[in-house]
Amino acid sequence: MMKSKNWKLITLPFSKQNPITVQVLGVCSCLAVTAQLKPAVVMALSVTVVVALANLIISLLRKTIPPRIRIIVQLVVVSMLVVLVDQVLKAYMYDVSKQLSVFVGLIITNCIVMGRLEAFAMSNPPLPSLMDGIGNGLGYSVVLVTLGFVRELFGSGTLWGYPVMEKLGLYNIGYENNGLMIMPPMALILVGIIIWIHRTRNQDLQEQ
Amino acid sequence: MRNFSNRYIFIYSAVLVAVVALVLTAVSLSLKPLQQRNQRVEQKQMILKTIGMTSTPDNAEDLYAKHIEECEESGLTYYRFDGGVVVPMHGNGLWGPIWGYMALDSNMTVIGAVFDHKGETPGLGGEIASDQFASRFVGKSMSKEPIRLKKNADKSSPYEVDAISGGTMTSNGVTKMLEETHKQYYTLLFGCHDEK
Repeated sequence: MMKSKNWKLITLPFSKQNPITVQVLGVCSCLAVTAQLKPAVVMALSVTVVVALANLIISLLRKTIPPRIRIIVQLVVVSMLVVLVDQVLKAYMYDVSKQLSVFVGLIITNCIVMGRLEAFAMSNPPLPSLMDGIGNGLGYSVVLVTLGFVRELFGSGTLWGYPVMEKLGLYNIGYENNGLMIMPPMALILVGIIIWIHRTRNQDLQEQ
Repeated sequence: MRNFSNRYIFIYSAVLVAVVALVLTAVSLSLKPLQQRNQRVEQKQMILKTIGMTSTPDNAEDLYAKHIEECEESGLTYYRFDGGVVVPMHGNGLWGPIWGYMALDSNMTVIGAVFDHKGETPGLGGEIASDQFASRFVGKSMSKEPIRLKKNADKSSPYEVDAISGGTMTSNGVTKMLEETHKQYYTLLFGCHDEK
């Protein structure tokens, strides 16, 4: 019983409660880091780690946190985790950390993190909170990776740095990369399209 | 909901902050050597790349020790290798610092160049870090005047290189950086080549 409930906490954010397409949180960073696939993947993983651990820690502390300063307590915990992720990336994945630059630091301001802490971790036990964090992180990741894939492929003609379009010989027959794809506005349009498809397939998400 | 006294709140926040500070200090201190090594190795890899040597983070330091000699003259650092010198470059892009290295032969013709940046827009200005961008400089010249980045650059001119579309501000930053480098190193390098 408990197990299936926890499992649901992981799977729900993939679709019915996706943080980006349904809750419309964390849109800013998903426009900024998805011009290429690799930073999108690392960003997705970083956010997942931060949300999951922040949810766990806040849930463990939830009974001791005075409600009046709870937002500040959450911020301190989130900031600590983000700085840790940043330091670890700098030490072990130096090239990627340089590519992500300021965006790792900006995970602190990602609405998904604070949103899950307020909505879930403050009122639920540690294990479900951890699950909820992982689930939401992965829900965010799905959208980010999709965007990174589409934008890098059509914007730069590469995937993970590999020149796909060139190898296919498309440039020789007059194909050109779409410069708009690597601009943030196109990411917003793509998110809109994803939300559109998502809602068409899940009628119950549509508002009356 | 439990009622928390002011005293509890103060002590709670003080302890929380102290614990967080402790954790961060510990992690930062323990990871610092690795991070500094990464930076050092990265710099050496960049310099090696300008002279056409591909290195991995593991063998970069050995290769560097074998092929590169660090020199300093009248306050300017440069790197001597068999066939010319590598000069460091520093400048500003759109969002933050940009930098690079350029290997020049005795005629001040570019053998190879690399560029990097702190926080230019990925896919736009960030493209200066790509090999494709750096390769545009090969064969160009830094002798009489610095290389300029231009839209629709004249391919036959030794002083013009195609700028990055969508990365105009960063491209301008690179042009300015090249100008500065030219100004700083011109006398020094030409001086020492003339003696040969």
